[in-house]
Amino acid sequence: MRSFLREPLVLFLLLGGLLFLLFAWRGGGTSFRSNRIVITPGLIQHLSSGFMRTWQRAPTQAELKALIDEHVKEEIATREAMAMGLDQDDAVIRRRLRQKLEFLTEDIVAQAAPTEAQLQAWVNAHPDLYRGEARVALRQVFVSPDRRGARARADAEKLLGRLRAAGPRAATETLGDPTMLPAELPLGPQRDVSRVFGEDFARKVFALEPGRWAGPIESPYGLHLVLVFERADAPAPDLAVLRPLAERDLLADRQKQELDALYRRLLEKYTVVVELPKVSDSTAAAGVRGAR
Amino acid sequence: MTASRILRGVLLLALSAFLSAPAFAQDAGEHNPETVKKAFGKRPYSPYAGRKYPTQVYFGDTHLHTGASMDAGAFGTRLGPAEAYRLARGEEITASSGQPVKLSRPLDFLVVADHSDNMGFFPDLFAGKPELLANPTGRKWYDMIQSGRGAEAALDIIGQFSQGTFPKEIMYFPGTRAYKGAWQQAIAAAEKYNEPGRFTAFIGFEWTSNTGGNNLHRNVIFRDNGDKASQVEPYTVYPPYGSDNPVELWKYMDAYEKKTGGSMLAIAHNGNLSNGLMFPVVEAFGRKLDREYAETRARWERLYEVTQTKGTGESHPYLSPNDEFADFELWDKGNLDCSVAKTKEMLEFEYARAALKNGLKLEQELGVNPYKFGIIGSTDAHTGLAAVEEDNFFGKTTPQEPSPERMTATFFSNPKSGVKIMDWEVGASGYAAVWATENTREAIWDAMERRETYATTGSRMVVRFFGGFDFDAKDASNRMPANVGYTKGVPMGGDLRQAPAGQAPSFLVAALKDPMGANLDRVQIVKGWIDAKGELREKVYDVAWSGGRKPDPRTGKLPSVGSTVDVENATWTNTIGAPELITVWKDPTFDPTQRAFYYARVIEIPTPRWTAYDAKRFGVKPLPGTRMTVTERAYTSPIWYSPN
Repeated sequence: MRSFLREPLVLFLLLGGLLFLLFAWRGGGTSFRSNRIVITPGLIQHLSSGFMRTWQRAPTQAELKALIDEHVKEEIATREAMAMGLDQDDAVIRRRLRQKLEFLTEDIVAQAAPTEAQLQAWVNAHPDLYRGEARVALRQVFVSPDRRGARARADAEKLLGRLRAAGPRAATETLGDPTMLPAELPLGPQRDVSRVFGEDFARKVFALEPGRWAGPIESPYGLHLVLVFERADAPAPDLAVLRPLAERDLLADRQKQELDALYRRLLEKYTVVVELPKVSDSTAAAGVRGAR
Repeated sequence: MTASRILRGVLLLALSAFLSAPAFAQDAGEHNPETVKKAFGKRPYSPYAGRKYPTQVYFGDTHLHTGASMDAGAFGTRLGPAEAYRLARGEEITASSGQPVKLSRPLDFLVVADHSDNMGFFPDLFAGKPELLANPTGRKWYDMIQSGRGAEAALDIIGQFSQGTFPKEIMYFPGTRAYKGAWQQAIAAAEKYNEPGRFTAFIGFEWTSNTGGNNLHRNVIFRDNGDKASQVEPYTVYPPYGSDNPVELWKYMDAYEKKTGGSMLAIAHNGNLSNGLMFPVVEAFGRKLDREYAETRARWERLYEVTQTKGTGESHPYLSPNDEFADFELWDKGNLDCSVAKTKEMLEFEYARAALKNGLKLEQELGVNPYKFGIIGSTDAHTGLAAVEEDNFFGKTTPQEPSPERMTATFFSNPKSGVKIMDWEVGASGYAAVWATENTREAIWDAMERRETYATTGSRMVVRFFGGFDFDAKDASNRMPANVGYTKGVPMGGDLRQAPAGQAPSFLVAALKDPMGANLDRVQIVKGWIDAKGELREKVYDVAWSGGRKPDPRTGKLPSVGSTVDVENATWTNTIGAPELITVWKDPTFDPTQRAFYYARVIEIPTPRWTAYDAKRFGVKPLPGTRMTVTERAYTSPIWYSPN
């Protein structure tokens, strides 16, 4: 008997069996997954700081207990769900993971602030983005085809003659037809004119010679006699003013480039096999089409 | 869907990199004393100088989700807040579906209101962490990043994480401040894209109370900048941090204001999917409605979002049988997740007009009107794209971005309740219009707080609405209606009290069509009131209309404006309707002892609905019953009359 026990194989099996029983008794089943949930002081601090940032005060004892209880539930649910494989093939989880990976990369890239020279180079390389806009200030007199019908244009021409005779200081308060369109627009870029009177009108106004009544110019509302009384040319790009914009744009561009680079580099690690469906297999083909 | 396909898509997306940003100008608020002195003598020549009231209406979206919202991400939205702001301010970007997209013209403001789920992302690697630089690995990463090899550093960091070789001494754990949240990310994006005077990027979030599938969502908007907003976490519905009861949300808002000195307001939306819970009159969450509830709700919920992609909720034919325009883009089949079908009894507590009416009654009972809200529209798009023009509609979710499928696909279907909603029922709506003194967070927020706002279903018509006791017909031909309006009355969102003896309130209402849109059919004033018997009443008045139409002497009904829509070709002409309508209207049945509200509704001539553009562009046959035309409209905030 004693010699039997001294057999190394028997001893090994016996000890193995004991260990198995021990794990089963501790509730570990046959897996070696840890079933301990430890609430550390750090975690408690994390939970209560989250509460504080929400409510602008510390949690009471009861609230803290509820926070911990909820956290424990969440931890259990997460572990059990993962053990069941519920995290697999879950579109939400996959997309969230991808998002986190991309955010991580973007954040890393954003750590390096662009230098003055890099910013200047960026602005020089993208003149269209930072070109200033010309601005005009205008007054307008409205002639409504809705009110005047066919004679609107002739009336407008006649009115133009009177306005030109009176010059840029012409009193216009009672001229033309009433409208809620503004009679005057302060100095502003083309988009400011276009948002009120439409794009065509704005384009035409920006081609006008300042200081002289012109028109009639058509808008979606009717006819207008227009005086550009001030014009300011587009200012040259000035990095001092553009700095925050240029920095924002340059960083955004870098982040895109770096993310692109990251995927290219990661792709090297993988072998991608694409098994295209046969053309006749219409269902599968539709599946590919759907995967825009 | 194959891996390489996805990857190629990603690479293409990344390669498309930086699309054009419109030219930048220093046009905001620049003041040149020389020019001013030259132009004006002692008194300004210009009658417009020195005006303090808002002269410009700003259009925006208070309710846009990006890929940072859990459900939007699940739908496949990859765009984040930065892309959302760039599209809104007029740039061309690439949608999640890979298509280029641009708005016909910029919006003036945007609230990225992602759902308030809170998560930690990633270590804020180098922010004031000398210990990191003392570590050789940390130093290496730092140098890589600084020398423009960020992707390489990211790869190395990811690799070390996955192999468990990440240096312990520089590893952060959840619970330390080194973990940056999605919220901080959202704030940072808003701060970057906020350009006072040019484009306002608000900080905000959506509180998504949805118990039982009943929509009680609120968007919360900060007046403040990041310094204050980052002192707080978005309110969630998860106890014990949060709750699904709006009363708790209001407490949270109060705590924020008290602690930081900042300001917040909340905008509820989609009562039409709340199955009778959005505007309660008896009890809410098991508690009887009392004066405190009414006061608190009225204090925080200054606006209501009356129209968006998931339907328009101004009124319903069941509630307003005499309103021929009430049947508009309705979603009245069930609640948000379609788990419970709708019953007629629920409608009264879901629609804006009915709530405004019940508010009068509650005010009589409780002394305070809980439903004294202004009106806005917004998109609630989950695509990061505030694109709801009929001919440029990018859908509610990423799978609904333009494609031949969306004419026939199902959006939501619940076989248990039998509720089914098709993609074609999604509306290309809406925007928020705000009369603010300038395009800044403060000015636009203040205008929202005073309810000087209106909703549009996607069009950008300009609408003025003033109420007072002194308006007369002449005011309608004034060259500066706003001047008269502010001088003699209160603007939309305001109050009239204690009518002078023998006088009825009169209203100056003016509407200018969208310069890129369709002519106007008519302007209406909707009156709601509580009569001598305590009954709630409503009536819709046609007050201004195009052409020489005469109301039917027998029924009083104004003939239809007609339609020029060619559905097959998705075109229309502005040969009917008027570009501008203005009038003064006096309430013919006013009783100074009865509470009332008045708001204006402006209706465009019929135009092709987005479905008509899709049918034409994709050559797809619409399903039977698909609506192919739309009459875009604007709803102003009410003006309330109260006897005391």
